[in-house]
Amino acid sequence: MIRYVVKRLLIMIPTLLAVGIIMFTLMNFVPGDPAQLALGSGVHTEAEIEAKRVALGLDRPFVVRLGEYVANIFTKFDFGKSLIDGTDIKWELMKRFPHTAKIAIFSIILTIVVGLPLGIYTAVHANSVGDRVSLFVTLLFDCMPSFWTALMLVLLFSLKLKWLPSSGAKSLIYFVLPTIANSLGGLAGFTRQVRASMLEVVRSDYVTTARSKGLSERDVIYGHALPNALIPILTVIGMRFGSMLGGATIIEVVFSIPGIGQYLVNSINNRDYNACTGGIIFIAFTFALIMLLTDLLYAFADPRIKAQYVSSNRKKVK
Amino acid sequence: MAKTRENFFGIRHLTVKYHSGNSIIHAVNDVSLELKEGETLGLVGETGAGKTTIAKSILRILPESSVESVEGDIWFEGKQILDMNDKELQALRGKSISMIFQDPMTALNPVKTVVSQIAEGYKQHHNCSKAEANKRAIEMLEMVGIGADRAEEYPHQFSGGMKQRVVIALALACSPKLLLADEPTTALDVTIQAQVLDLIRDLRNKLGTAMILITHDLGVVAEVCDKVAVIYAGRIIEQGTLEDIYDHPTHPYTCGLFGALPDMEKDVERLSPIEGLPPDPSVVREHCDFFERCPYACGKCKKFNNHMIEMTPDHLVRCWKANEGV
Amino acid sequence: MADELKNKDSKHHGHGHHGGHGKKGKRHHRIDASIKPGSAKYVWASISHNRGAVLGMIFLALIIILSLVSPLICRYSYSTTDFAAMKSWPSFDHLFGTDDLGRDILSRVLYGARYTLIIGLLSTVLSAILGIIMGAVAGYFGGVIDSCLMRFLDLFQAFPSLVLAMAFCAVFGTGVDKCILALGITGIPGFARLMRANILRIRNMEYIEAATTINCPTWKIIAQHIVPNAISPIIVEIAMSVSRNGLASSSLSFLGLGVQEPKPEWGQMLAATRNYIRDFPYMVIIPGIFIVLTVLSFNLLGDAFRDALDPNFKD
Repeated sequence: MIRYVVKRLLIMIPTLLAVGIIMFTLMNFVPGDPAQLALGSGVHTEAEIEAKRVALGLDRPFVVRLGEYVANIFTKFDFGKSLIDGTDIKWELMKRFPHTAKIAIFSIILTIVVGLPLGIYTAVHANSVGDRVSLFVTLLFDCMPSFWTALMLVLLFSLKLKWLPSSGAKSLIYFVLPTIANSLGGLAGFTRQVRASMLEVVRSDYVTTARSKGLSERDVIYGHALPNALIPILTVIGMRFGSMLGGATIIEVVFSIPGIGQYLVNSINNRDYNACTGGIIFIAFTFALIMLLTDLLYAFADPRIKAQYVSSNRKKVK
Repeated sequence: MAKTRENFFGIRHLTVKYHSGNSIIHAVNDVSLELKEGETLGLVGETGAGKTTIAKSILRILPESSVESVEGDIWFEGKQILDMNDKELQALRGKSISMIFQDPMTALNPVKTVVSQIAEGYKQHHNCSKAEANKRAIEMLEMVGIGADRAEEYPHQFSGGMKQRVVIALALACSPKLLLADEPTTALDVTIQAQVLDLIRDLRNKLGTAMILITHDLGVVAEVCDKVAVIYAGRIIEQGTLEDIYDHPTHPYTCGLFGALPDMEKDVERLSPIEGLPPDPSVVREHCDFFERCPYACGKCKKFNNHMIEMTPDHLVRCWKANEGV
Repeated sequence: MADELKNKDSKHHGHGHHGGHGKKGKRHHRIDASIKPGSAKYVWASISHNRGAVLGMIFLALIIILSLVSPLICRYSYSTTDFAAMKSWPSFDHLFGTDDLGRDILSRVLYGARYTLIIGLLSTVLSAILGIIMGAVAGYFGGVIDSCLMRFLDLFQAFPSLVLAMAFCAVFGTGVDKCILALGITGIPGFARLMRANILRIRNMEYIEAATTINCPTWKIIAQHIVPNAISPIIVEIAMSVSRNGLASSSLSFLGLGVQEPKPEWGQMLAATRNYIRDFPYMVIIPGIFIVLTVLSFNLLGDAFRDALDPNFKD
C-alpha cells in the first residue's frame, strides 16, 4: 500500500511541473508590459520602465526566469511577488486558503449528507412519487447558476428574513449561505449518480444471494448493496470536491469572502499576472492532492484493487 | 387441497408473468409440484423454459421491477409462502429453504470476505455471536473442501469452481430442509462440474436435505434425482419417477430430448435434434405448446390440452396421445 | 382464496414498480414498432414523444426567434438609457422593469439570449471538433501518439474546469470571441476522452472482428460500424456541453471575465445589478430565470437524445 502511495505521489510531480511551466509560459505571452503595470497608471519615462524591468528581473532571458520560477515553487513553495502591491503571493494565498477550504469542505459534507441518503432512497424506491419529485428538483438545481442561487438565498435569508449574514467571513454562520449555494448544483448531480450506481448494484446477483440468505431488507441494502455502490461513488465525491473548490471562486465573489477565488478574480481583473499564475497553480496543487486522496481511498475500499498492491508487495518481499 | 397441504413441500397452479416493454411474458404457467422430505426432484428444460423463475418464486426473490404477477400456492411445512410477511419470509430464507445460484462469478459479494458472507446468514438465523458464526462458516468451507486459511480471502481470489463451492457452503450453512440448486454446474468447466455435482450429492445424502435440482442436463438428473419434471414453455409436460421418465418417456418433447442425447451403446449416424424453437412466451396460445414442433401433431392438438394424463399414479403426461401409445 | 392470494401478491411484487413501468412503457408505446431503433426516424419519434424535450425545444425556438427579432419588436432598445425611468418596477411600459440606468430589462434579456446561445453553441463546436479529432487519432493509432495526447490532456484535468476557463480568460482577455475560445479549449479533453474510449471499445467488439472475418472492407467497417456506434454518445455530450458552456459563459461574465458591458449578457446583467437586489430584486431574478430555463431546455434535450439513441443508457 505504501508503495502505491509513493508511486502515485511520484506520478503527480511531472504533472504539477508541467502545470507550472505552462501557466508561466502562457502568462508571459499575455499582451501588456508587467513593468508598466507594476509602476501603476500614469506616464512613465522609458528609463523608469527599464529600471523597473531590471528590478523585476524581466531583462533576463525567458528560459532563465521560467527555471527560476518553477524551482522556487518546488523548493520553497514561493510564487514570487504581486505586481500591483508587491506583497508575497505565497502568504496571501496561505492567508486566504482556509476560507476557500472551508467552503469546499462544508459543501462536500453537505453534498454527502444530503445526496447519499437521497440517492439511496430514490434508488430503493425507484419510480415512486418521491423519486420523481427528487429527480425533477435535482434537475432544476442542476440548471441553476451558483451565483444566481447565491443571490436568491441572500435575497430570502439575509434581506427578507434577516436570518443569516450576506457577506463576510467573520464566523461559521457566515459560511451557511455560501455552502448551500456552492452545493446545490453539485448535490443534484451527485444524488443522481448515487441513484444510478445503487440501481445498478441492487439488480446484481449477489444482492439476490444476500436476500436469499434471509437477511432483512435493511441488511441487504446497507450491508451488501451500499458498499458496492459506494466504490464508484468515491471517485465521484473526489471529483465533486474538486469542482466545489473551483465553484468556491465564484461564491467568494458573491459573498465577499476573502478566499483564493476572490484573489484570483481580482488579480485577473487587475492584470496582476504573477498573482494570477500563483493562484491557479496553487489551486491545481490542491486539486491534484484531492484526486490523489480519492484514488487512495478507492484502492482501499475495493479489495480487488487493494489486493493487486498487497500481493505484489508480498511477492517482492519474498 | 387440504390433503396435499400436509405434505412437506408443494407448488400448486403457480403462474408467473413478467412485463417487458409493452408485452407480458408468460414465464410460468400453472405449474404444480410436490416433494417429500429428503427427496430430490430434477426440473429439466431448455433455457428460458421458466425453471429459474420457479425456484426464485419459491423464495420470493424474483426481480420486483419486472414481475407483473405471481399467482398460485406454494406451501412449505403447512405454511403458504406467498402469504408470508417480511419477517416470516426472512426466517424461511436461508434457514429452511436455500438456493445455490447459477453463476458463481456474480453470486458472491465482491467486497466481503467469503467467511463473512457465510457467517452472516448463520448469525441471522441462530442469534449467536460473530465468533461462533465464523467458526461454523469455516467448518462449512472445510466441508466443501476449502481450507480455513483461505476463509479471509475475497471472492476474486477464487476460481470459478471454488466460488461455486463457497456458494454451496453458503446455501448449506444453516442445514436447510430444502435446497434449490439452479443449474449449479452450468457455469463451470466440465471437469469441475463432476466434482461439484459429487459434492452436492454427498452433502445432500449426509444432511438429508430435500432438493430441487434445476438443469438442462439429463445426465446430471439421472445421477442425482429421485423424481423428474420436464418443463416446456413454462408448463410441466411430463413428470414422474426417474425410471418413469428415463425408461418410458412418453411426451413427444421428452422423447425428443432423449433423441438429442448421444448414446454410447447405439451406433447412430447423427443425433436427432428437435426441429424448431420454443414458442414466443409473450403470446397466449390456443393449441398445445409443443404443437409447432411435434412430429405427431394433428387436428386435435389444435385445441389446447390442459389435462395431465395419468400413465401410472406418479407418471403424468400432458399429451392426449399418451394413452394411445405413440 | 385464489383471488386473495393474487391481490396480496401483486401488491407485494408490484409495489413501486407499476407506476414506473407505466411511465417508461408509455414513452415508447406511442412509437410505431416498425421504426428501426437507431434510425434517425426513431430518434426523432422518441424525442418528439418526450414531453420535457418538446417543451425544451419550444422554449429554445421561442427564445432564439425573439432574440433575433427583439430589435424590431421591442419598444425600447436594449442599450437606450432613460434617466427618467430608472429602476422602475415591472409595469405595462416595461414588462420586466428597467435597470439602474433606465434600460428596459425585457429588451435586454431577449437581446442577451444570443450571447448565451452563441457562446454555448460555438464553444461546443470548437471543443467537439478538436476533441473528436484528438480522441479519434489517439484511439485509432494508439501507442506513443495515444500516450502523448492523453498525458497532455491530463494536464487540463489538473484544474477545476471553471478555474481553467478563468485562466484562459486571463490569457486571452475578455469578449464574446475570447469567451468562446476559453470555454472551447476547456471542453476539449471531455470530447477527446469520450471519443477515444468509444473507438477503443468498438474496436475490440466482436462484431468488428466478425465484420473483419467476412472480408468487410476497412472503410465499410469504419463507416458502417465504428462511426454510428461512436457518434451517439457524442451527440448526447454535445447537448450537455451546450448547456454547461452556456452556464459557464454566464459565470465568467458574472465575474467580469466574459462578455462586457454594454452587451446584455445574462450573467453580466446579474453582476451589474446585484447591488440593487435589496430594493429591486426583479433586476436579479429575471435574468436568472432565463439562464435556468435555457440550461434546463438543453439538459432535457440531452436527456431525450440519450434515451432515444441508446436504451442501455437509461437508469
